[in-house]
Amino acid sequence: MNALAIDRLEAGYEPGLPIVRGASLAVAAGEIVAVLGPNGAGKSTLVKAAAGLVPVSGGSVRLNGRDITHAAAHRLVHEGLAFVPQTDNVFARLTVAENLELAAAIVVRARSDREARLAPLYAMFPDLERQRRLSAGRLSGGQRQMLAVARALIARPSVLMLDEPSAGLSPKLVGQVFDKLAEVRASGVTLVLVEQNVKAALALADRGVVLVEGRERLVAPAAELRGDARIADLYLGRA
Amino acid sequence: MLQIIADGLIIGSIVSLGAIGLTLTFSILRFANFGHGELLAWGAYLAFSALAAFAALGWNAGGSAATFAPLSFGWPLVAAVLVAALLTALLALALDTLLFKRLRLHGSITLVIASFGAALAVRNLLLFFYGGIPRYYSSDLQIAIAIVPRSVAGGLRITPDQLFVLGLTAVTVLALHLFLRRSVLGRAMRATADNRELARVAGIDPERMLRVAWLLGGALAAMAGVFAGLTVQLRPTLGLDLLLPLFAAVILGGIGSVGGAVVGGLVVGLAESAAVATIGAEWRAAAAFVVLTVMLLLRPNGLFGDSGNRGGRA
Repeated sequence: MNALAIDRLEAGYEPGLPIVRGASLAVAAGEIVAVLGPNGAGKSTLVKAAAGLVPVSGGSVRLNGRDITHAAAHRLVHEGLAFVPQTDNVFARLTVAENLELAAAIVVRARSDREARLAPLYAMFPDLERQRRLSAGRLSGGQRQMLAVARALIARPSVLMLDEPSAGLSPKLVGQVFDKLAEVRASGVTLVLVEQNVKAALALADRGVVLVEGRERLVAPAAELRGDARIADLYLGRA
Repeated sequence: MLQIIADGLIIGSIVSLGAIGLTLTFSILRFANFGHGELLAWGAYLAFSALAAFAALGWNAGGSAATFAPLSFGWPLVAAVLVAALLTALLALALDTLLFKRLRLHGSITLVIASFGAALAVRNLLLFFYGGIPRYYSSDLQIAIAIVPRSVAGGLRITPDQLFVLGLTAVTVLALHLFLRRSVLGRAMRATADNRELARVAGIDPERMLRVAWLLGGALAAMAGVFAGLTVQLRPTLGLDLLLPLFAAVILGGIGSVGGAVVGGLVVGLAESAAVATIGAEWRAAAAFVVLTVMLLLRPNGLFGDSGNRGGRA
């Protein structure tokens, strides 16, 4: 059973105008899969549809075998699927601590259990603990990204999807964020990474899926894709 | 001078309470509800009816024996306010369920126009049930107490009811602040107002937050309406008269900012009081209008609203 199985998904913001046109993606437990492709390929729409944020008109999404295709977005965190959007991915007017405490309170009732969830997160993200009283909107880009990931991890998801975690970050910060994601995988979380930064994504991922015009065109182990000229062809519309 | 300030704070307290509810629903629902003033009016009148019902049921020993002297009211009005708050909250929720929810996909302009229509309907319903004659919670005359003699900055005279309004507003604002800052539900509401899509992703049910915003907004509006009725009078245009000051307060404070709504309300109240004292009572409404216009020209996001740079990344 795959951790996440997307089967011939059709999804789009407007009825009758699908952006994702029959894409399929199977992610095994503990894997990191990078979803790549040129602008407009439907990468973000694919993960947003899986997260319940974009209407699905066909196909299915299964999480650890359970059909979540039309589940309400706010229910999915309880099912074990967490999503980190590309932009506006923290509650800017809440403090760092409020962002994390709220995330904990949503999934656990007892105060003591919430503390138990927060402690390992602060241990994993020590910078966030130092800045816990700071308004999230005043964090730097890299710190904001760390907070967004930490917030998603509080629910102890089995699958974490991220939409372009490297966007807007300097190369050094990209390295820091991706090192953290490797740590996250080591803790047992399956990762699905939508990325424009092909090199960084394939350095981290086990497998890569290249989406073009709403469908997967190339699926292969990351090691194979790193030197594959077909990726450039697909990005440049030559294939 | 002191009297202007005191009168301004009293008006401001009423406007603040109404503005808090308006700013909460504005920030979560993302549209300007021009029917919010009518919730204040209905709250005031529902309390009036509840008082009458209690009297009819025999729960009013009569006269000053039933009051918390020197205030003009006793337990019956307190209970009436609670009943009115609950019913007004339900009225707000009913308006959303029957009208606004069905129009949400049509965009904020449609919702705004619909809210004008709802305001018209709800106000005329009030007129239909209660008539146009001004009413009062108590027929007793309250004597203002001279707290500061005239020799000091013009002196200050205030009625016990007015002092009560000031005090209870402060307590309510503090309680609301603690609720929004410390409680899970309060934080979830703030999160939804901040970023609705992220709130869904984080596991917050936005419909539930909307319902809470309506209920809270309605209850606060009822309180504000009762305070207006207590310190001035009940009249069917109570809501319409307060609509401009409410919006001026919300815009001044910044949409979504409860603290801003309080500051905004107090500023609008002081501006109105100053206008009445210096220019004339007929210019009262203009004061709120000037505040609103100046804010929109200088700082449309309000004193405590976003500066517009929230999305910056390194």
